[in-house]
This record gives sequence, C-alpha cells and structure tokens, in this order.
Amino acid sequence: MRYLFTGGGTGGHVYPALAVADEIRRRQPEAGFLYVGVLGRLEERVVPGRGYPLKRLPSRPFPRTRRLLPLLRFGLTLAVGVAGGILVLLRFRPDVVFATGGFASAPILFASGLLRRIGLSRTRIFAYEPNAHPGLLNQAVGRIADRVGLVFEQAARWFDAKRVAVVGFPVRRELTCLDREAARAAWNIEGDRMVVFVFGGSQGSRTINQAVVEALPLLASRAEELIVLHGTGAHVSEGYDPVAETSRALEATGLQDYDHWYRRFDYIEEIETAYAAADLVVCRGGMSTLTEVGVCGLPALILPLSTAAEDHQAINAMALQAAGAARVLFEEASWRPREERVEMGVGGSRLAAAVLELLDRPEERRRMAAAASAPRRDSLEAILGEIDGLRQDRRPPVLKLEAPVAGPPGVPADPNRLLHHVRRRLEEAGGVQALGPMELAYLRYQADRHLASEGWYEIPFGRRNVGVKLVGLLAYEERLPLVLALIQDRSPTSRVQRILGGDYRHPGILRRNAIEFPLAMIGLRRAGPRGRSAVLEALARDPYFEVRVAAARLLGQQADPGDEEVEAALVRSLDDRASSVVAASLQALGRVGCRPERLADLRRFYVHPDWHCRQETVHALEGLLERQVVHAGDVAADVEQILSTSPSFEPAFPLKDSLDSLSRRVRQGLERDPDRDSGDRERMDPAAS
Amino acid sequence: MLYYLGTYLNESVEALSFLRLLDSISFRAIGGAITALLLTIFFGDRVILALYRGGRRDTRRSFDFPPATARATKTYGGPLLVAAVLGGCLLWCRLHETFVLMALAAVIWFGALGYLDDHLKVRHGTSDRGLSETAKLVLQALFGLAFGLAFVIEPLSPMPGGLATKLYLPFVKTPVIDLGIGYVPFIAFTVVAIANSVNIADGIDGLAVVPAAFAVAVYGVFAYVASHAEISDFLIFPFTPGAGEVTIICCTVFGACLGFLWFNSYPANVIMGDTGSMALGGLLGTVVVLVKQEFLFLIVGGVFVGEALSVVIQEKIGIRWLGRRFFRSAPVHHHFQACGLADTKIVIRFWIIAGILALVGLATLKIR
Repeated sequence: MRYLFTGGGTGGHVYPALAVADEIRRRQPEAGFLYVGVLGRLEERVVPGRGYPLKRLPSRPFPRTRRLLPLLRFGLTLAVGVAGGILVLLRFRPDVVFATGGFASAPILFASGLLRRIGLSRTRIFAYEPNAHPGLLNQAVGRIADRVGLVFEQAARWFDAKRVAVVGFPVRRELTCLDREAARAAWNIEGDRMVVFVFGGSQGSRTINQAVVEALPLLASRAEELIVLHGTGAHVSEGYDPVAETSRALEATGLQDYDHWYRRFDYIEEIETAYAAADLVVCRGGMSTLTEVGVCGLPALILPLSTAAEDHQAINAMALQAAGAARVLFEEASWRPREERVEMGVGGSRLAAAVLELLDRPEERRRMAAAASAPRRDSLEAILGEIDGLRQDRRPPVLKLEAPVAGPPGVPADPNRLLHHVRRRLEEAGGVQALGPMELAYLRYQADRHLASEGWYEIPFGRRNVGVKLVGLLAYEERLPLVLALIQDRSPTSRVQRILGGDYRHPGILRRNAIEFPLAMIGLRRAGPRGRSAVLEALARDPYFEVRVAAARLLGQQADPGDEEVEAALVRSLDDRASSVVAASLQALGRVGCRPERLADLRRFYVHPDWHCRQETVHALEGLLERQVVHAGDVAADVEQILSTSPSFEPAFPLKDSLDSLSRRVRQGLERDPDRDSGDRERMDPAAS
Repeated sequence: MLYYLGTYLNESVEALSFLRLLDSISFRAIGGAITALLLTIFFGDRVILALYRGGRRDTRRSFDFPPATARATKTYGGPLLVAAVLGGCLLWCRLHETFVLMALAAVIWFGALGYLDDHLKVRHGTSDRGLSETAKLVLQALFGLAFGLAFVIEPLSPMPGGLATKLYLPFVKTPVIDLGIGYVPFIAFTVVAIANSVNIADGIDGLAVVPAAFAVAVYGVFAYVASHAEISDFLIFPFTPGAGEVTIICCTVFGACLGFLWFNSYPANVIMGDTGSMALGGLLGTVVVLVKQEFLFLIVGGVFVGEALSVVIQEKIGIRWLGRRFFRSAPVHHHFQACGLADTKIVIRFWIIAGILALVGLATLKIR
C-alpha cells in the first residue's frame, strides 16, 4: 500500500497527519509513505525527523480580496503547484491520499481530482477537517473527497452527508494514562488547592500572558486556595518576546511573594504532568489544544485567537461552550492611549472573575469536566477504519444531523456581508435585546475584531468602518469610549494623503460614521459628558464637513431644548463655510433653540444662495413658532422677506399623482380584506359557478 | 446600400447619371444624418411604447411601498439609437471600406454589451445587478485590443503605410512619436476609457446625447479634412483616402443623437441606458483612433473627461484611500443636483460647456 500525506503550514495540520502515519507504519511496516508540503513551513522541520520522505510544491493561501493582482498570483502559483502535483502523483501512484487541509494540500488535492476525472488515477482521497468551521480549501474539495473525517458534527453542514464520518482528533498515547497524584507530587503541590494551568502554545500568546499577569493581583487574596502554573512560551516571533515582556509586566504590577502560588516557566518538556495536575486550563482555541484538554477531562477557559483564519478558534470554543465543557472569553478591542492604537486583548479582571467563580463552585467545575471528556479517545482507530473502508468501498452510516446545530448560525466572514447579516438578524429578532446572549456576545466580538483591524476600507480581514457601524447597530455601549477616542484622535495621516486632502489617521467618513452610528443609535445621553464634548468639538473644529453635518444633526435630534451650550455651538456653526453644515445647524436650531434672539440669527438666511439653507430656515421658524419661542406677530412680516424662487422645482405630473392614489387605494383594499379578491373573481365569472 | 445602387444605375442607365452625386461625401453625410434623424423621429414613439410594454423599464414597478412616483419608470431606449445609427450607415456608407467596418463593429459590440447589461438589470429588477464592473472592463478591453491589432497590423490597417502607429497631438503639426506595437494597448485604453466616460455621463435626461453629438460633429470635420487631398495639404494633415466614410458615420450619429434628444429631452420618456451610452462611447472611442486625434478628445470630450475624473477622484482617491468625499456625490452632475441646481439647468450648462469646448477643438484645425 502506498500512502500520500499532505497538509501543512501549522501544527494543527501537520500533527494529525503524522499521528495517522505513525499508526499506519506501526501496523503495516511494508507500506510506502510520502509527505507533500510547502516551502519554508513547519513540516520542513518536523517531517524528515520522523523518517518520512518530504516533497515540496509551491502553493499560497487564497487571497481574500477582489483585487486582480493577488488573485492572478494565486492562480499562477496554484497552476504550477497542480502541474507539479500531477507529476508527483503519477510517479508515486498512491492508493490513498490523506489531506489535513490548509493551502499546502491544495496542489495535490486538485491534481488528484483532475487525474481521476480523466481516468488516469484511482486514488482515494480522505480529507480531514478538525475544526468546527471548515477551512476554505476543505469547503472546496469536499466534493472530490471520497471521505471527509470530522471532529465536530456541526462541520458536516458543509459536506455531502453520505461521505462524512465523525472520527475525532488523534491524540498522543501519553495523554490517555495520566496519574494525578504523581503529577501533583512532581509539581510539589500539597492539599486540594485548585491548580490553574495557563498556556498559549509553543510561541506563547500575548493575550493570555497579559491577561494572566493583569489578573494576578486580583487573585492574590485567594492565594491560599489556588496555584497558577503559567507557561509563557519561549520563542520570539513577530517582535514579541514572551519571557522578557511577561517578567517586565509582572514587575510593573508590584506583586511580591508569589512563589508559593504562582509558578512561571517558558516551556516544559512533559506537558502531560501539567495537564494531570490541573483542575482548570486557560488556553487558546486551536483544535489540537482543545482535544488534549478534552481528553484529559479538564474544564477550560478559552481565549480564542481573534485573527485566526475564518475565525475558527472562536467557533471551536463556542462549540465546546455549547456542550458545557468550556467558557469563552472573547478578546475585546480597546484604545491604548500611549501607543495611540486599538488593540485586542482580554482584561485581567474578566479572567480573574471567571477563575474565582469556578474556584467557588467546584460542582460547576465537575460538570464542565464531565462534558469535556466527551471527545473520543479511539480517534486513530476510527480514522484507520475509515481508510480501510475507503479501499474496500464501504460507506459509513449516513450521518444524521441533530438539529439545531450548536454555535452561531453561519456568520459571514466578508465585512460587508457581515453587516448585512447583522441588520437582517436584528430585523428578524426585533432589536438587540431579543438576540440570544451567546449570539449577541459573538456578534459584539465581531465588532471588536473589526475595530481592531488597521486600515479602514480595503484591508481584506476587517474594516474598522464596519466595526464602528456594528458598535452602533448592536448597541455595544462598552465600546463608546473607544469610538470617542477614534473621533478625537488627532494624529495626522501621511504627508502625501494630507496634500491630497486627507486629514487625520482615522479618516473623515469613519469619524462621520462614528457619530451617525454608535453615538446616534446608543444615544448621546448614554455617552456621558465625554461624548457630549466630543460631539461639540467635532462640530466646531473637525476639518471634514460631513463630520460637522453629522454632529449638528445629532445635536438637533438628541440635545435638550434649552441647552445653552449646544445652542451657542449651533449658532457659531451658522458661519460654517460648507453650506450643508449651515443647513444642518439651522435644522437643529429649530428643534433646540429656546431664545427669542434666534430669530435674528435666522433672518440672515432669508436670502441665502443655497435653497437648502432657506428651506431649513423656514422649518426652523416653524419649529420655533410651534414651541412658542417666537410669536406669530414677530414672524408675520418676515414671511414676505424669504426668497422663495427656488432654482429647483419638481414639475407636477397629474397622471403620476392619480396613479399614486390608485395604488394607495389598491394597497389599502388588500390590507383590509386579503381573501376578498378570490370571491370577487368568482362572482364576476358566472360560468364558473 | 444606396451608394452601390446609385453607382450601378449610374453606370447602366444614361438618364440616371445625376446619381454621380452619390460619390460626394458631403451629400452622403447629410443624407445619413437626415435618415437617422427621421428614422428616430418617425419610429420613436412606436419603438418606445413597444419597449415599455415589453418591460424594458428602468426599475420594476409594484404596488408596494414606496409609491409609484418615487420610482423612475423610464424606458431603456438604447436599441432605438443603435438601430438609427446602423440604418443610416448601412444605407449611405461604402461598406467595403475598413474604416466603416471597424466603426460599425464597435457600435455592434458595445451595443450588445450594453444591451446585456440592461437586460440583466431589467431581469433582476434592480440597477445593482447588471454585469459586474470587471466583466464589463474585460469585454470592452477585448474589443479594444482586437481593434488595436487590426488597426496597426499592415494588411488590415486602413491607414497608408507607417501612419497607423504615429501619435499626433493637438496644436502640433508633426507626429510626436512612433509608438510601434505599443500603440495597441494605447488604443485599447483609449477606447475603454471613452466608452466608460460616456456611460458615466449618461445620468440626467439629455446630458450625454448633446455633448456626444458635438464631439462626433467635430471629429466628422477632422475626418473630412484628412480625406480631402487639397484641404489636408493646405492644413498640413496626413492625407488618408477613405477617411471620408468616417465623416458620413459621424454625421449619421449626429442625426441619430438629435433624433434621440427629440424624446430624451427633459422630462424624458426614454433614456438610452447602457445600450445607447456604451454604443455611443465605443463608437466615439473608435472614431477618435481612426481620425488619429486621441488627445483632442480631452478638449472636445471635456464634459465626459470631467465626469469620469470626478468619479475616479471621488471613489478611488477620496473614499477608498483618503476616507473622505470631495463631491457631495459623484459623478459630478449628481453633485450639482445635491447643491440644489435643477436638472434642466445642469444639463443646459453642460451643453454650453460642451459647445465651447467643441469650438476650441475645431480651432486646433488651423492653430497648429
């Protein structure tokens, strides 16, 4: 038998493939193996060491953009890769292709699909998808795979139910036989203190490390009852040095004498002992981690990586939360004034609160642990069984999905579709309050993700603009301070952009949306004095006219009549150089103005060249009259003064008016008695009766 | 067709020798213009009503909210314009000339492309669901490249030897540079850019037709000059036999535009839609190349250039890159609408500007 393994890029793709390969080699020493990966990724380091031949083909991740150049480059690389894949397949002639997804497996998968289509190959394809939300490639190749192995049943939605089998995630044998007492002795833990094991993988996770260090002072009061084992991670990547930064942050907290309850290490060889000793795990949401935690039967606090592809970590985590095995702490966006940027992270207080709650409720912990041990331990067995079945053309029993599926209903990744989705959901549910707590939490987390993405428009994975709009739509009050910081941030954009008409780093349309969505929808009052001063400042000083228009409109709609500061600000902006701002301010004054002097201000606009301004003046006069700020006698003489010849006119079409009234009548008739029209028809057609 | 019939009768029947008149370019040009004008005016009403009944309207109407008047219910009348142009040209042109074949190919290709776009919009009941921007650009560029190759490669090219790849500028007597094969992508760009700019400008009743009529008129004069041995010698233009047919096409389009304006003037009961605007734009782009005055379009087609620029500035530079708007709305005629100018006023002011620019363009005949 010849087996070809493909998939790579990250550990989540490489390790399951290697686990399966090891098991096959144990059982069939004579079998032939080949591993196909991409250049310069994890598999290059790991695979040859395990004794498998490695071939590398060019491939690159699918660019999630509609721009032509990256798409062309992707297509070209894929074409070259597929051509290479065809050669590899023809030379090696595998019986089974085992693919764990990731762009690394694309060339082989497409090549074998092609070869089978033209009848040059009888290779069977087994695609493996460990995540609750399938990656792009597995979604695409689901059709050509003979069998798709899953961990989460909910992922079956993306595939043909006749070919799907739930097989679980293969784990190392060491994890299945843990000795709690021995491990506790080895870690020198006495009594029944709750052991919290915190780790962010081999590279370390900035979010987790920061959150833990921030949480420590809050946990210190209960230090006698718990022990924190903290694996910071050792490798420096992307400028983040987990060891150095964690010790620096720890010093900054000023915490003393923590050795007896907080132990920090950068990397441990035998992670099993930590699992064995632990009562609670704080970790990321990758599938290999979650399976290990689940096999060990541990409750988990999951802090999913918000930049993961397709957001799969959050979806994995929510699937476990729905099963009752874990709690999810989503990363949240916050404004860092010192760095002047938005960053994602989990606040120490939230982590501490979650840990303390579980510390106080051991029965809850036990319940979570019981739910956690659900993942199957015989997953290797199951995968090999399915591969055997493939060779003998056995079909797995058709999977019956239990409705409803756990987790969020397919939230689209594309920012604009996401926005559309949220609007539709709000309409269906009838408001933010009517959304389920889990769905609301997830959607708000989407708002956070988009707020944190740099760039405002064309960056594929998040557009801050969408984040700002989501904050308003979802009434996400906790993010108002961040939104205000965006409005008030005065750091200039690049010189080239400023010469061409740009102003600040957070561009005009973003600032306008920040006023029109979050502030207007949540309410100026809820934004507090800081929100109020931000809007007043925007009205007075913002260089972009649409921001000033939005500010004037917001004040007109939401400020209290008689608010003198607002009234004065609106009067000042009557001298604005943009006539749309003047019109908006006039409109606002009609609603807010409470002093008779306003009449004198309005009189200046009776013969303004822009008819929009004159119209708003008329509306404002009406408003003042209605609220009896001015009296009919004062205005009587003015009516003649207002220039009414407007350069704009709508010619009246009597036919259209009549048509309007007809259709209104028809509509009313339909509403009154919807069943009537069928009766009418019968009456009109005597032959029918 | 009339040309061939006339020549045949002229040669065979002594008494019909006055049909020699059909050799004259100016006679046939005027004939083409009048034919196209009368075709649209006589058949306009019937065609518009037929199109309206056939459901080729701007947006679908329903009894639902908003009320009927809020929705435009104009007819896509592009086919009328295209049919008039084709009818006039088929009757009066010498159809074996490469110039004519190229220009008519442009009308048919771009008209079909626009018709497809209109058809999709009508079928989906919304103007957002036409051809995608990329699909449009690719199909336009395909024509541009094919036309460019045919124009440059020797046996197909209608131009006398070596002239095809030389680049002329307004106000300059001699060719500036010989672009060689590089002229092909330049042609493709010119055609695509002009076709789209006319498409963009077609936003208010009558806004695109009149400037387009002015532009074809100017180019018709240029073509006439180039095709006339003595005048081209006097004005120092390269003599291009056969270019006179372009004059006839230009005049036919001029007539068709005026005929279309008969119905398209404010308040319009027919709009040209993508069928008309793309066909007009594609033809203009082709004529500009055939007459070898690509850069003159920056002056003569100034209205179109300005409209297209306003879109690029607003969308690509403003919104996508800087995150701000420069106009209240783009293309620029919508900006003026938002500023409170009436549609008619905007349209007539644009006509005035187009007229002045056409005169400036004509002046470059002598000022070189």
